[in-house]
Amino acid sequence: MTITTSTPAAGKPLAWRRVALHAACLAALLVMLYPLAWLLATSLKPASEVIASLDLLPSKLEWSNYETALEGVNDVSVTRLLTNSLLIAGGAVIGNVLSCSLAAYAFARLRFRFRGPLFAFMIATIMLPHHAVLIPQYIIFNQLGMVNTYWPLILPKFLATEAFFVFLVVQFMRGLPRELEEAARIDGCGPFRSFFSVILPLTRPALITTAIFTFIWTWNDFFTQLIYLFSPEKFTLTLALRSFVDASSTSAFGPMFAMSVIALLPIVLFFLAFQRFLVEGMANSGIKG
Amino acid sequence: MTTTQMPTAASHKRVDVPKKPARRRREGAAWVFLSPWVLGACVLTLLPMAVSLYLSFTDYDLFNSPNWVGLRNYTQMFTEDPRYWRSVVATLTYVVIAVPLQLGLALVVALALKNMRRGRAFYRSAFYAPSLLGASMSIALVWRAIFNDGGTVDNLFGTGGWVNKPGWALIAVALLTVWQFGAPMVIFLAGLQQIPGELYEAAEVDGASRRRQFLSITVPMLSPVIFFNLVLQTIQAFQVFTPAFAVSAGKGGPADSTLFYTLYLYDRGFVASHMGYASAMAWVLLIVIGAVTAVLFRTSRSWVFYASEGDR
Amino acid sequence: MATALALCAVLAGCSGGDGSSSAGGKVVLRYTWWGNPDRAARTQEAVDLFEKENPGIEVQTSFSGYDAYKQKLATQAAGGDAPDVMQLDYRMIDQYASGGVLMDFAKQQGTLDTGEFDKGLLATGKVDGKQYAIPQARGTETVVYDTEQWKATGVPLPRDGWTWSEWADAMRALAEKTGKPGATDPGQSEDAFEVWLRGQGKALYTKDRKLGFTADDLARWWTFTDKLRREGAVSSAEQTTQIDGTVENTPLGRGTATADTNWDAPSSGFLALIPDGVTLAPMPSGEDGTPGQYFKPSMFMGVAADTSNPKESVRLVDFMLNDPEAAKILGATRGIPVNETLRDAIAPGLKDFDRTVYDFQASLEGRLDAPPQAPPSGDSALQTTFQRDYDQVSYERMSPREAAENYITEAKAELRS
Repeated sequence: MTITTSTPAAGKPLAWRRVALHAACLAALLVMLYPLAWLLATSLKPASEVIASLDLLPSKLEWSNYETALEGVNDVSVTRLLTNSLLIAGGAVIGNVLSCSLAAYAFARLRFRFRGPLFAFMIATIMLPHHAVLIPQYIIFNQLGMVNTYWPLILPKFLATEAFFVFLVVQFMRGLPRELEEAARIDGCGPFRSFFSVILPLTRPALITTAIFTFIWTWNDFFTQLIYLFSPEKFTLTLALRSFVDASSTSAFGPMFAMSVIALLPIVLFFLAFQRFLVEGMANSGIKG
Repeated sequence: MTTTQMPTAASHKRVDVPKKPARRRREGAAWVFLSPWVLGACVLTLLPMAVSLYLSFTDYDLFNSPNWVGLRNYTQMFTEDPRYWRSVVATLTYVVIAVPLQLGLALVVALALKNMRRGRAFYRSAFYAPSLLGASMSIALVWRAIFNDGGTVDNLFGTGGWVNKPGWALIAVALLTVWQFGAPMVIFLAGLQQIPGELYEAAEVDGASRRRQFLSITVPMLSPVIFFNLVLQTIQAFQVFTPAFAVSAGKGGPADSTLFYTLYLYDRGFVASHMGYASAMAWVLLIVIGAVTAVLFRTSRSWVFYASEGDR
Repeated sequence: MATALALCAVLAGCSGGDGSSSAGGKVVLRYTWWGNPDRAARTQEAVDLFEKENPGIEVQTSFSGYDAYKQKLATQAAGGDAPDVMQLDYRMIDQYASGGVLMDFAKQQGTLDTGEFDKGLLATGKVDGKQYAIPQARGTETVVYDTEQWKATGVPLPRDGWTWSEWADAMRALAEKTGKPGATDPGQSEDAFEVWLRGQGKALYTKDRKLGFTADDLARWWTFTDKLRREGAVSSAEQTTQIDGTVENTPLGRGTATADTNWDAPSSGFLALIPDGVTLAPMPSGEDGTPGQYFKPSMFMGVAADTSNPKESVRLVDFMLNDPEAAKILGATRGIPVNETLRDAIAPGLKDFDRTVYDFQASLEGRLDAPPQAPPSGDSALQTTFQRDYDQVSYERMSPREAAENYITEAKAELRS
């Protein structure tokens, strides 16, 4: 990108570059956020305009979409749906961060027999489309008496079944210099101590990333929630949102869009709260390489 | 590559290999760390996988007990099902379009944000915002509105609608994925954060240009994360389901142009109730993705640098 | 490996735990259906009444949209965990019955009263002579149109007993007057094709679950619709492909056509989109006046074969179908009731579009042929195949003849397996 070697001392070209960078970012954002603006605008459109209208802005603001959405679905209040969603997503975050970092530490930094083949198997588990294993998994959870509970949604996270995150944390841990543990070992730390007090703090960006993604993806995971939850009082926001649309009868697209926006708020807040921690990585944690 | 110029203490002296009992204890420790994963892998992963492999050799239809049919599902797939091959072509096209675009965009934005002093948190959140939505029904409807006849894209470029034309619908779906580049971007950012600042300081002292710093510090230090994103996005792209399912209302249309592999698999398994056939499709996909991933892992030896493994 | 075998045993339907249980001395039933929040609210109210009248029974209800419901029910059934009482579609019956998921109602004789049901309709829930499902409500297809818009063109309005060629002429005339297609291209719809086929005295499927028509028939239908599409009398491929089952995404709903073919009850959705209102007209008949449309059970109720509380389950079915109070609460939320006494009883209370649908059905009463038996299992797959093959025609990648031959090959393979 930069042909001229400009040192930080040369002030002017750098300032220009910064302005150009901001301009480029803002322009890109304008395009990126346009569909979101559309989503917001649609949530306020009257029924006749939700699908048919190709204008961004509604002809009049239809707040009743939000009123309908906030009434909840099938006698279940929005607060209840929200609590359920939070419970599942929260449990999943704890489970994934714990179990994936444990497994990743073993794969990344310990030597044990069959490490190679087991790692390959772990990667292979994400290659099989999940539709193919859906029914056997359903049978297992049914046999365990866990259908219509939150266990099928949370338990797998505590057992590190999401290889995506194990692999992610592995990659970050492999990026840490080997001397860290060797120094710790000389100080008399076993693998457990060095995991908790040396490696884990340094993998924080990866763990925060895991937490953020787990929260958002679990929140949006319509499919698993649909299959395993039966009672409406156990439903989540994501499930309730879909029940506004039914191809065989009259759909309520307006309230569905309103509900989408409502369901979006918690994940926005979660992301905003946690993304700050992404910044603090190794770069400013005072580790000497 | 340039790894030999790494100013890390990568060329340290290894500490002596620990004595046997210690090694055994460490092996034991490894299994303790692995125990949740082992339990999950056996019960929740291996078992269902084994069942689906078995089912791929049967005529299982969800309702009646499966009967062994040998390789029939596989031969039928390869020789008698033109729609299967259409789904293969659509998927490969999608992989080739979506993966490089999404990763490239994520990397460029992450690098741009890395050097930004002001407003970084704002941009990071804003660029991530589309990824918060997933491929929900509402976003699919928005997408259809934007890429429809008379929609925003049509008005701007006069191309007509995209979602309703066979050649273009796939691009509209791919753009939905590319638009949600937040996940790889955040992973890139996290990886960039992990690069010790001292490396750049040392390079600055040595008078290395920024281009040089990028090539000899950023790229090698980020390579594990680049590799991770490449592997995972490729795997996920081969299995692309929700964007196409949502945008085409489950049909994979128009004219099968977005009937991606897993969409067709779902259609066979759950709409047509040919779960045996769908299982066979799943295992063929696993083998193909496995082969592609193996190739990626093999090439990674020449370009991915792990600090924990020193200078290999 | 032992566990894997056990799993396969479960797949084979040997076990499956006991789906329902009793809590606190109460019998607990699970009842699922598909629908929208309005239907959910009314159903819940009816169920509450049932619980009040049957203090020993607790009913847990659950609902979702149709597509989600279909997959969820299939997963539950495959996992040996089907709900005690379930709402079923015409296309599911053969599959669920022959797969052993559904209970034969004869096993609980005396609990369910079907005396008020039309025999022809009742027969649609039979497979191999056994009553596995009970029709809950009926619907029929209609040519629904934007009343004001059609009238403004001066094109003669649809009349009772109009034929397909009269329909085609009307579409051409509408297109000419309005500058946009007259209706949705019916070529992609298996349902419309069935009406056309029945108008010629044929059927989609024979009694022994084979294909009831030939490639020639299908090629003729597709040639007919393809020609209209090329003339611009019906919607273009680009418009047709956007149909996703909701009225909002049909050309009529988007305001790019004057008419549509749809089921009667779901057409109520057009009212929100077309403020001037819509009219329901009968489907076109064969050229000799043979009516093609029929009263189709729009939904069924079935009971799981492995329910531990068959008697209570059937009692719930009976309540939902035959109880006058329940009927009042439910109204026409699932379509016009099949129970004839109740149908007349609720008629005066029907309002708005429910009333329109009731009157439309009353106008057809006694003039239609009996419905066919429930379609064979393969039909749910063929419905999408039909539409996909027609996509190849409307996007001009195949001739109607080629696509028809393709469909016949695929259909034969589907019905054999």
